[in-house]
Amino acid sequence: MTSYILRRLAQFIPVLLLASLGIWAMIYAVPGSPVGALVGENATPEQIAAITARLGLDQPLLAQYWRWLTAALQGDLGQSIQSREPVLDLIAKRIPATLQLGLAATLIGLLVGVPVAIASALKPNSLLDRILSAWSALALGVPTFWLGILLILLFAVHLHWLPSASAYIPFFTDPVRALANLALPALTLGLYISGIFSRFLRAALLGELLSDYVRTARSKGLRERDVIGRHVMRNAMLPFVTIVGLSLANFIGGTVITEAVFTYPGLGRLLIQAIGVRDYPLIQGCILFILAIYITINLLVDVLYAYIDPRIDYH
Amino acid sequence: MNPTLRRLLAHRGALLGIAYIMLLAFTAAFAHLILPTDPLAQDLANTLDPPSPEHWFGTDELGRDLMTRAIYGARTSLVTALGAVAIAGAIGVPIGLVAGFFGGWRDAILMRIVDVLLALPGILFAMALIAVLGRSQAASLVAVGITGIPAFARITRAQVLSLRQRDFVTAVEAMGGSSAYTMFTTVLPNAWSPILVQVVILSSVAILLEAALSFLGVGIPPPTPSWGDMLRTGKGFLYEAPYYAVLPGLVLTLTILSLDTLGRTLARLIEDRQSAEDDA
Repeated sequence: MTSYILRRLAQFIPVLLLASLGIWAMIYAVPGSPVGALVGENATPEQIAAITARLGLDQPLLAQYWRWLTAALQGDLGQSIQSREPVLDLIAKRIPATLQLGLAATLIGLLVGVPVAIASALKPNSLLDRILSAWSALALGVPTFWLGILLILLFAVHLHWLPSASAYIPFFTDPVRALANLALPALTLGLYISGIFSRFLRAALLGELLSDYVRTARSKGLRERDVIGRHVMRNAMLPFVTIVGLSLANFIGGTVITEAVFTYPGLGRLLIQAIGVRDYPLIQGCILFILAIYITINLLVDVLYAYIDPRIDYH
Repeated sequence: MNPTLRRLLAHRGALLGIAYIMLLAFTAAFAHLILPTDPLAQDLANTLDPPSPEHWFGTDELGRDLMTRAIYGARTSLVTALGAVAIAGAIGVPIGLVAGFFGGWRDAILMRIVDVLLALPGILFAMALIAVLGRSQAASLVAVGITGIPAFARITRAQVLSLRQRDFVTAVEAMGGSSAYTMFTTVLPNAWSPILVQVVILSSVAILLEAALSFLGVGIPPPTPSWGDMLRTGKGFLYEAPYYAVLPGLVLTLTILSLDTLGRTLARLIEDRQSAEDDA
């Protein structure tokens, strides 16, 4: 198992290296000097000197990249132009907010998506299946930002039940206020995620329900609940986990957009604000960080895959 | 009539989708002839007016007619999406064709590059690219286009790999057809249908991505009318003018749902046809 994980890790390293090269090169692609991009227009000569020394701008390009990469790996992502704070600190402050939103939305996605998938897969092409499939198409097709606006209009503007802009309140500090602030963004993102779950789990279940072992299980008199729960679900998890892994990129996009709709102070919003003021060290840091998370989750999905399917040879 | 086309038209959802997209494309293309109003004409005496017989969607914070802007926004959106899909296809299809046709080291190198591109979340990639290039319609188009390359490359490669085994391709090669001749005159013409399905599906993805970028404030810069930007501005007036963000959002949502339904129906029909051919 360990060697399998290490092997998968080795396959991700080229992706991460290539991506980090691209993120590093951003500064050099921006019109003007890289120092200007990194310290901003109102920099003092001391700051310019410090950055020049840090980047080693008199060194060959490859050496400059190496310096940047080793610094980043040690947690030194540079300093924000706007706030002059270390980029890593700014990112670290936003992580709990995004994590809380992501977990709540995934929970909603599972609670809605899995029952929908099972109900429609059990009676394919029935009226219920067609209604539920249309529901999945809507959940996937309606843009997250429009759905978020509609929910704000209904629950905040019209009914005055929930706030229209969501603050981050840690769940364990004040559960009631945390839920009030989290409800709309989590629902917006969660409904989208439920669309991914229900569409692909339904397809996976349908494929399995046609198998011989299902007929055997049914003909030996197993209750339908056991046929689905013990046999079909376990096998359908495989294609499903693959798809969820592939959909991770959409999760990340959805989070960035949801945070923007509800002015929720998460990582995605930090990135958008950074792009708005051209705070390049912060942009680089956010993108590198989100990418690292994305690749880590991808790796976890792979490991989960091997765990679910003992047939996969990971020795 | 082509049997696949006939079956497509028999599908109610797909038919509605086609009708909606055609109507949208037509009004967007001839907007300057059909509509009496200018999308940039301000009327500061009538700002944030609710929908009325004069202004069906109401007016925005500068008194501009929102329906006119939504229709010109369709122009922006469709042009960006088509441009992006064209870029993605022009780069992705040849990659898939060469990788699938030759196999070996060409396949390994090309598909590894495609995998790296596929491994990056599209919106993150687009935002990074725009952070470097600056906000413009061209930057959005290129950024959205590049994120579509892997889909074209993979689908073309898969198609070419299966065609490569067919007798008629072997026959052309046996008769001395060069690689380029076989690729372009024998393989590619038979690989079109799944690629065209991909064009439809990617158009809907491209429209959504472009609108998302504009909504985030990094897409096409104002005053060019774009759906994402209208939703972004409208979100600031939810209490004063709730219809502002609702109606342009509806136009956008219907566009995406239409293209998505059309794409998935086409994909299913072509799959049916291919399995029927395989059985025959």
